Amino acid sequence: MVSWSLLVVPLVVLGGVWCEEYEEDLVLRPLRDGKVSSTFTFTTVLHGADPAQHYTLFPLPLGQILREYAITELHLSLNAGKWNYDAWGYPEHPAVPTGAELWAWMPDGAASTIDDRWAGLRNALAGLFCASLGSLDHRRTSSPVQAYPLQSSHIPSAPHHLRHATLPSEHVCTENLTPFLKLLPCKSRAGLARLLNPQRLFDADWHGLGVHVLSTEGGGVEMKLVVQAVFDPVRLSGGKRRDWSFQSLFDRTINAACPVASSSSVRVFLPEEQIFSLSPEPEPQPSDESQPRDESQPHDESQPHDKSLAIYDVPTLVSHGPLDVAMQWTTEHAFQYPPPLSIQRTLHGTSQAHGALACTLTNRGPAPLRVGYLETLPALVTLWAHTIRVEVGGVGRDDLLTDLIYHPSHSPSPFSSHSSSPSSSSSPQTHAHAHTHTHGPSPSLLQATLTLPPYSTLRLTAELSRAFLRYTEHPPDAMRGWDLPGAVFFPVPVPGSTDSASSFNANHSAPTFNHSARTDSTYAQTDEAHAHIHTLPYRMHTPALLADLPTPDFSMPYNVIILSCTLVTLIFGSVFNVLTRGWVVVEV
Amino acid sequence: MHLHWLPHSCLFFLTCFAALTARTWATSTSQDEQVSGFFGRHESGSGHTNNWAVLVCASRYWFNYRHMANALGMYRTVKRLGIPDSNIILMLADDVACNARNKFPGSVYAEAGRHLDLYGDNIEVDYRGYEVTVENFIRVLTGRMEPSVPRSKRLLTDDRSNIFVYMTGHGGNEFLKFQDNEEISAFDIADAFEQMWRKKRYNEIFFMIDTCQANTMYSQFYSPNILATGSSEIGENSYSHENDYDIGVSVIDSYTHYVLKLMEGINKTSQTSMQDLFASYDPVKIHSNAGVRSDLFQRPLDKALITDFFGGVAQAGVFPPDDPTAFVTTLKASEPALIISSAQLNAESHVTPSQSTSAVAPSGSYADEWSTQWKVARKWASITLLGLLVAWVSHR
Repeated sequence: MVSWSLLVVPLVVLGGVWCEEYEEDLVLRPLRDGKVSSTFTFTTVLHGADPAQHYTLFPLPLGQILREYAITELHLSLNAGKWNYDAWGYPEHPAVPTGAELWAWMPDGAASTIDDRWAGLRNALAGLFCASLGSLDHRRTSSPVQAYPLQSSHIPSAPHHLRHATLPSEHVCTENLTPFLKLLPCKSRAGLARLLNPQRLFDADWHGLGVHVLSTEGGGVEMKLVVQAVFDPVRLSGGKRRDWSFQSLFDRTINAACPVASSSSVRVFLPEEQIFSLSPEPEPQPSDESQPRDESQPHDESQPHDKSLAIYDVPTLVSHGPLDVAMQWTTEHAFQYPPPLSIQRTLHGTSQAHGALACTLTNRGPAPLRVGYLETLPALVTLWAHTIRVEVGGVGRDDLLTDLIYHPSHSPSPFSSHSSSPSSSSSPQTHAHAHTHTHGPSPSLLQATLTLPPYSTLRLTAELSRAFLRYTEHPPDAMRGWDLPGAVFFPVPVPGSTDSASSFNANHSAPTFNHSARTDSTYAQTDEAHAHIHTLPYRMHTPALLADLPTPDFSMPYNVIILSCTLVTLIFGSVFNVLTRGWVVVEV
Repeated sequence: MHLHWLPHSCLFFLTCFAALTARTWATSTSQDEQVSGFFGRHESGSGHTNNWAVLVCASRYWFNYRHMANALGMYRTVKRLGIPDSNIILMLADDVACNARNKFPGSVYAEAGRHLDLYGDNIEVDYRGYEVTVENFIRVLTGRMEPSVPRSKRLLTDDRSNIFVYMTGHGGNEFLKFQDNEEISAFDIADAFEQMWRKKRYNEIFFMIDTCQANTMYSQFYSPNILATGSSEIGENSYSHENDYDIGVSVIDSYTHYVLKLMEGINKTSQTSMQDLFASYDPVKIHSNAGVRSDLFQRPLDKALITDFFGGVAQAGVFPPDDPTAFVTTLKASEPALIISSAQLNAESHVTPSQSTSAVAPSGSYADEWSTQWKVARKWASITLLGLLVAWVSHR
């Protein structure tokens, strides 16, 4: 018996190591405005398909969902707050839209249809993460294949379909974090997840959870669980100091390492030319020894990683005692590289029937900037494409707007069956429409390419009409207004560019999550012939808007019912009286 | 001549027989006692094997903080007493914990001192925000769901489930508002419960509601095995208990506050009964006349334990393996369908021995037949013996 178990244990251990890997990573970055951005990434890699689903590290509930609905790629994010690109730069992970965003790429060839699987996936994730994702129905679902390309390194050959939906009014709170932490092998008891204290995380100026599942070769799956938060040490300290530590940010320290994690590291970006002190002392980094996780991501030659980054290996440090990384400043500093593009998006008009949508884009860079522009508006507002105006400095420049594609809202929903294969992704307009839904209008989809001259502010306006809804279609808090999802600005191919970051080729691994350099070189570099046109390195999201629709007096139906009932009673009563009563003289 | 030792032999046989029966009876009772004592330690006659809770806060907006706190207080109690998250359906119509107006993000408190965080770091809200609708509530109760709805959002009960249903919000005479734009009426809930009863979705229900004119909400119930209680009579308001000046709103309702106060003293092995809970209602403190409706409930209230509904105390029913009728007798007399089936069962078991073609009967039923025949023989033998004894005594 003993010898048998001795024989089996190494086999199990070896099998576990080879089949599944788990690593965790925390990136802390002091920001220009004194805030601290923190990004937790928990990566579980499943090598090869396991038909029996005997997982040791990979979470079974999520594995069952991916298997059941045959998902190639899945991205879910639940965020609260507005990501302030102007002050904070690009996020570590680009999925920062307000509220809930869910998109999935599904291959053809499963037993059920794409839309059935999409509905099932929504409901299953709603149950798993305690979020209202079940309400992401066809009225919120679209298929913007250019802005949300396939990112997996290995894709099955079957044609793929995209489903994308957002729910800008969704909250994120402890009930979402609880199931999230239950997917981790060490829960929140050990390792970096120990720092995820809900009382502090949901107090952050910006916070969000993300689940990103990509396919790897051989039917394997890579799952990244991401927690991003932007803390304000100035507010937390109650004073003017922007010093921070684990204890001050999270009210916790790391007192145990997760034993099943193959790597567990804390990386702190160090501000340049600043007088600051960091405790404990980071490990000396030999420049020739690169971290294993860095091999997969593009190195940035312009920014030497060695000097700007402090790396802590959690298991070795925790063995000496609780780990509490702290940073202290003596002087303020200025963040040098804000993103080149600043975006503001507003809704104008005081009338409840009409209005205008305005986007103001400022290019702070010395080179023209070409960006893709995507609006997915629910059917309750109708955007009029012929009224789109583009101005630069008060002068009409409609020539800066190109490649306009507009799918107005209509029911049944116009799902273009976009295929992901590179050969057919060139002209989305030509694809046949698959009418799959029975009721309810689909969102309208507007997509265009904008070219911003250097050092200029471009203003795009479009008129829109607001729908007059039936009174039963209003939400319970109708006076608050309806949330319109934020616009998306995404990379487009620029002339001469062969950079994978701006390529539409879905088989390429497009912007990587861990791409961490933040310099001017994050513009997609172009070759000498077209040195002047740049594009964005990542998708950028604008905050959600609130549309004020004509709101009825909800008591009016009852008033009408009461009034008409009274009238009917009066008329009927008097007529009945006249017809049936006999008028006789009674002798007294 | 030989008759002179007949009485002695009769007496001898009688004592032997008595000893034998007494021994078998004694051993069987001690075993039964042991088994039922082990499985039925908390047995209060309810006959349930699993516990479920449906906790509904039907109010939206920050100023209804106290309704969220009411429901979360109940959530904490049932979870503390052992009902797992998978058996709790929690519906919160708004998110106060992460509301921008909450000075204490991720926390909900139900008392002015803010000693106990009801939200904690382990909570699963099954329906939230706009999902909290009358339709979804009725669907949860009756189990009529889309096939893709996950298990965590379903009430997967059976006919041995005790369900605790707690509702709170703003209400009136025979209605409760959901989210300020729709209402559920007392008739809707009563019909939903009847549907659950017909579909064998519960064993017993404990219905508790904290709203204005709450007692009207259970006035229309007509399904058996429902115990109901509410916070105030018709024409009465239910009032909030206290404010917290840092949170800035009322933090809990009065009735729920005093119920939770009693619940804090209860643990899984507590023998406190529903009678004790109802006796603790004090109209002076609550500022309203809390009511109880127990005419549909079959058991005496002092035998119905609070943990029968609030606790996840697992119970197993013990049935003798050779006596199918015992299964029927332990079930409630109020289940007509089951009584019919038991009658059919009896009829079958009486018919089969008379039929000589027992080759089709399975071996298990054959053993049953043999044991019933043996019982009959034993019965007649003892009667004959008794008759002989009486004859002998009268002869002398």
